[in-house]
Amino acid sequence: MRRALPVMAPGIGSFRKERSRARTKPRPREERLVETHCCYCGVQCGMYLRVSGDGKVFGVEPRDHDINKMKLCPKGVTAYQQVNHTDRLTTPLMRDRRDQPLRPVSWDAAFDRVVSEIQTIQAKYGADAFAVYSGSSLTTEKCYLMGKFARVALGTKHVDYNGRLCMVSAAGANKKAFGVDRAANPWSDMLETDVIMLLGANVGECFPVATQYFWGARDRGAKLITVDPRETPIARTADIHVPLRPGTDAAFCNAVLHVIEREGLVDEEFIAARTIGWGQLREKVREYPPERAGKICGVDPALIEQVALTWGRADKAMAFHARGIEHHTQGVNNCLTVINLVLATGQIGRPGKGYGTITGQGNGQGGREHGQKSDQLPGQRMIEDPEARAHICRAWGITDEELPHKGTSAVEMVHQAERGEIAGWLGICNNPLVSMPNTDRIARGYDSLEFHCQIDFFLSETCVRADVVLPSTCWAEDEGVSTNAEGRVIKYNKAAEPPGEAKPDWWIVCEIARRLGRHADKFGFGSAREIFEELRVASAGGLADYSGMTYERIEQSGGIFWPCPSEDHPGTPRLFEQSFAHPDGLARFHAIDWQHPAEEVDDEFPLRLTTGRTVAHYLSGNQTRRIDALVQQTPSPWIEVHPDLGYSNGDPVRIVSRRGSATYPALVVASIRRDTVFIPYHWATPVAANLMTVDALDPTSLIPEFKVCACRIEPGVAMDETMPPPVPPGGQSYDFSRMTDRQPSAPQGRGTGRG
Amino acid sequence: MNDQPLDYSILPPDPGGARPTWDPSAAAAGLIATAVLALAIYSGSANLLHFDAALVGYTLATLFLAFGATYRLVTWSRSPAARRYLSKSRKALLPRPLGDGTLTASAREVTSTVLLQRFIAKRSRPRWLAHQGLFWGVILATLITFPLTFGWIHFRAVPGTGSGYYVYMMGVRAAHLDALSLLGWLTFHALDLASLLILSGGAYFLWHRWSTRGNSLTQLGRDLMPLLALMAISVTGLALTVSSVFMEGAWYQPLAFVHMCTVVLTLVWIPFGKFFHTLQRPAMAGVGLHKELGVQKGGVAQCVRCGEPVEGTIFLDDLKQTMGELGLGFGDWVETCPSCKRLERGAAYRNHVKEGYR
Amino acid sequence: MTKKALFIDPGRCIGCQACVAACRECDSHPGKSMIHLDYPDPGNSTAAAPTVCMHCSDPVAPCAQVCPTDAIPIDEQGIVGSASEELCIGCGNCVHACPFGVPKLDLVEMLQSKCDMCYDRTSQGKLPMCASVCPTDALFFGTQAELMQKRPGVQAVDIFGFGDETVRTNNAMVAPAGKNLDRIPGGYSREPDSRE
Ligand code: SF4
Ligand code: SF4
Ligand code: SF4
Repeated sequence: MRRALPVMAPGIGSFRKERSRARTKPRPREERLVETHCCYCGVQCGMYLRVSGDGKVFGVEPRDHDINKMKLCPKGVTAYQQVNHTDRLTTPLMRDRRDQPLRPVSWDAAFDRVVSEIQTIQAKYGADAFAVYSGSSLTTEKCYLMGKFARVALGTKHVDYNGRLCMVSAAGANKKAFGVDRAANPWSDMLETDVIMLLGANVGECFPVATQYFWGARDRGAKLITVDPRETPIARTADIHVPLRPGTDAAFCNAVLHVIEREGLVDEEFIAARTIGWGQLREKVREYPPERAGKICGVDPALIEQVALTWGRADKAMAFHARGIEHHTQGVNNCLTVINLVLATGQIGRPGKGYGTITGQGNGQGGREHGQKSDQLPGQRMIEDPEARAHICRAWGITDEELPHKGTSAVEMVHQAERGEIAGWLGICNNPLVSMPNTDRIARGYDSLEFHCQIDFFLSETCVRADVVLPSTCWAEDEGVSTNAEGRVIKYNKAAEPPGEAKPDWWIVCEIARRLGRHADKFGFGSAREIFEELRVASAGGLADYSGMTYERIEQSGGIFWPCPSEDHPGTPRLFEQSFAHPDGLARFHAIDWQHPAEEVDDEFPLRLTTGRTVAHYLSGNQTRRIDALVQQTPSPWIEVHPDLGYSNGDPVRIVSRRGSATYPALVVASIRRDTVFIPYHWATPVAANLMTVDALDPTSLIPEFKVCACRIEPGVAMDETMPPPVPPGGQSYDFSRMTDRQPSAPQGRGTGRG
Repeated sequence: MNDQPLDYSILPPDPGGARPTWDPSAAAAGLIATAVLALAIYSGSANLLHFDAALVGYTLATLFLAFGATYRLVTWSRSPAARRYLSKSRKALLPRPLGDGTLTASAREVTSTVLLQRFIAKRSRPRWLAHQGLFWGVILATLITFPLTFGWIHFRAVPGTGSGYYVYMMGVRAAHLDALSLLGWLTFHALDLASLLILSGGAYFLWHRWSTRGNSLTQLGRDLMPLLALMAISVTGLALTVSSVFMEGAWYQPLAFVHMCTVVLTLVWIPFGKFFHTLQRPAMAGVGLHKELGVQKGGVAQCVRCGEPVEGTIFLDDLKQTMGELGLGFGDWVETCPSCKRLERGAAYRNHVKEGYR
Repeated sequence: MTKKALFIDPGRCIGCQACVAACRECDSHPGKSMIHLDYPDPGNSTAAAPTVCMHCSDPVAPCAQVCPTDAIPIDEQGIVGSASEELCIGCGNCVHACPFGVPKLDLVEMLQSKCDMCYDRTSQGKLPMCASVCPTDALFFGTQAELMQKRPGVQAVDIFGFGDETVRTNNAMVAPAGKNLDRIPGGYSREPDSRE
């Protein structure tokens, strides 16, 4: 007879133990520390990987790097668990028809299939019928290679990357206003400032380790202003929090500048010496008195006045924003209104005075500036600029006719696939079945493809729809550089061999290029270092000039800020001290009007849905939804609703938009606006937040409007179930059964008291 | 203390572990135990007739062990928590009114916790196997050597057989044994078997300690010494067998002396180090059962704040009494579950210390 | 020379649970997380509060005092460890006696474990895992002087009140400097209605 377990009081048995028993074994005595950085968000925290005597990565050790000073978030702490994860892809997978299951095949068989499909499709429909969709969690070497591969080996203009879903609005605005796309200051500048304004950036959850800079500034007396429809962890204690309506940021910023201008707090001297366009902008912001903006934004006009006076009277001030204001059909404009504010008060180009976007993806910055963006070439060169084309053609040894022109953006490419304009697809390092808006339409797009190959190291929801899946390395199994949100280039080091037959991404792509035969000699790379050497040459003279960087220099320093044009150049931590990057050296003001979001609320859909991240997960969750500690912290999504809407915690709530519906457990919180609901987006259908989101794009940056669409909610019947992430054939999928209850205690996850 | 630096210089005495103060009544108990053992040795060996004078070192060590272990047990049982649970453990294991199932329950409890140490298997299976090796090796060795040493058992050759022996227990002829039979062989080599069990178990623990990092606070200084001692006993014991069987008794005398030293040291060490758990754990074997019976009898207390079950009412009452005796003035706080204690403290901080950042 | 300690400031905590994930990376207790992270004001705010062992010094470690087998070791610095595997009988006394709700109990293994300040790390001069990774320094490890130098405008308080009783601890809480606090409220008071 088995005895019943003794009484278990709440919160005493929650060890958050690891799933595999093998891992709870005591740690090996022999170890080696490998210096590297986190693979996740744009902070790119330094860390050591602990490697055992027999070459297995078994743990993490905090590293006192300039960026993070030992600190890590829960994702960073557990990142190493990807390395020996049982879900890893270890052989190529293939199927002949989509109704068959994927089966393991040899590399040769997989390559033969990929190459013949590419050749068939390009012969049948033209070179542009084959698209390459890449990602920014790759090292810069790989990002560079993907652009070169698409344009030189495939000769297609259809190449884009998943940063298109991330920070392209900021990139576009920066280019327009400053002439260059990079955060203007190192974060350590924050420690000297008096006021920080944070717009649409849930720093505490999306860039947790950056919080130390904000707190450090506050310890020294700085004031913090946050602007966000939700009172996020960083907004909770802010000096001023502006809980505005999603999609109204431009009106808010215009009104702030209105007050500043009215009060005579603008920096006339700076405006005169270093900017163009103030006159028009002044007229524009005069149309936005706080009363008007207050109505648009749904906030008290007095709050706007207060923000304006705090900012306007500050000796030094800095503004930061993230996806909250960028994921909009007016994303570029939103960012421009922030830049207007910064420029009009002269708050840039000095310690404690500055501006920046906080990139979401690890290598979001490096990934977008070396030529995998549809309109760019390496070194942040524009693809339609004849001089840029000439430079790259020289670097690559091809002719101008051979270099394709500007292509379309990520979401557009999937829509083109749906229309049959794109027939073949090579995806690497992305999972659009979770991350793109209006998931059902994205699924239709992928299903319409004649051939779809996906390269990844875990089997994502997108991989399972592919014809061929090629197993690649995770970040700890290869070396390469990455550029963090500050514009600082850092280096990952190799800590382990890839599992099974998995190969580095660059090897896979070069192998395809060699077998395709078109300019095969231009893909003879034997290591990441060789690619980096070529990238240095290709980027030389561009805005994002890496030519003076070497692996050794990067490792010896705490990272090098681009531009770094020669080997004795120290790099450029702070931009715009003397001049801006436009040919005349001046910054541009832009007179912006607030517009309605693509989809406004109405009687049928009276609420606004906004989406975002939670701290335990990263992007599409293909990596983090498999890591035990993170799943135990946040096993499944929820819908955040205000108490006034009449639900209680855990109630099933069905949300409906024009595109889809799903039922989630309610998390009732007073920290969200009454007219807004929130869903974290890391999970796949049937609980994908993107089932509901609208696929409207910003006309300039072509970023989708993830942050606002119209919806309604109603009492649900049965909760839609969160599926464990897919696993390779023969694998075991994540077992949720250990968790008795999956309801989060707070937006940051389940408290340990819940087990 | 507001602006003064934190003052950590005065550290309170260690409440657990060995108590440095001398305890005369415990010493008296120890002396009594020693005397009783001495008497038993005297009479069991027919007034020292069967007592082997060469084993006097062992005997003295055992007498010291009797004193030390009793002294430790008595001082240990003075602590309110131990006293309460020692008596509860005993009561739970004693089959009071027969027929209520308590007898089988206690037999099961003793088998699973004391003999089979099932809780270790739950922590790690290899560890459990190794521990069982150590455990049964030590038990076997103890059961053989102690009576031999004290002269409680002795053998006498059956005249004329060459391999036949009479076994005498407490001076009385109890059995006949042929050294060449399987049983005989096992009997004469039982100590070697015990040594092998101990060595294999010990080897695992040593290897585990050597190859992995572990918590040095809970293992501090207490882990290796007893293990090494046991292994030293086993190795020297085996060496004695090797000497007599294969080497015609070469080195036998010096080896026997070394062997004795290892044993004596170990015995003397038992009351102080980690070995003490071999006495503590069996004494507490009934606590699990006590808690279970307590829940059956007194029911489960609900957290005063969240209403979730906290623990058995009887358990909490015991604990409150223990805390009262220890002068811990927040005994009633146990009616709040640990999770709610933290939430309450968090709320109090937000309400009375600071709401947000500053 | 003052000792190093953990200084806890829930006001800075963003509830990210890096501490929870990092705790189990320490070699003192591999694979098991000993820290608690609670959201004390659920539904109203995203406030969070970490709980580590405070290493009580006066009365010295109530958990160890109520342990019937003396399983909980205390070192010369006053660091209170996890129960010894040999001695702990899993009775749960410590779990419920601790006024802070710190020790955890594995009811299958019948073994208590608790925060031991990452003994394997701190005894070698490294930071405890939670405090090294905590992105906000809500958990700060160092001397009081180091704390004061980094954060003007705070005080550290190492005395807690539980009803009429006080408990002095080796670790301390951070409070605003101006505030006249002779103790940090521990959340417990005998009168149920005085609870907020
Ligand atoms: S790591 Fe720090 S900020 Fe994050 S939950 Fe723990 S104490 Fe709070
Ligand atoms: S806080 Fe709790 S666990 Fe830590 S020493 Fe004090 S009583 Fe023991
Ligand atoms: S659970 Fe273990 S450590 Fe805690 S009081 Fe009981 S025996 Fe001691």
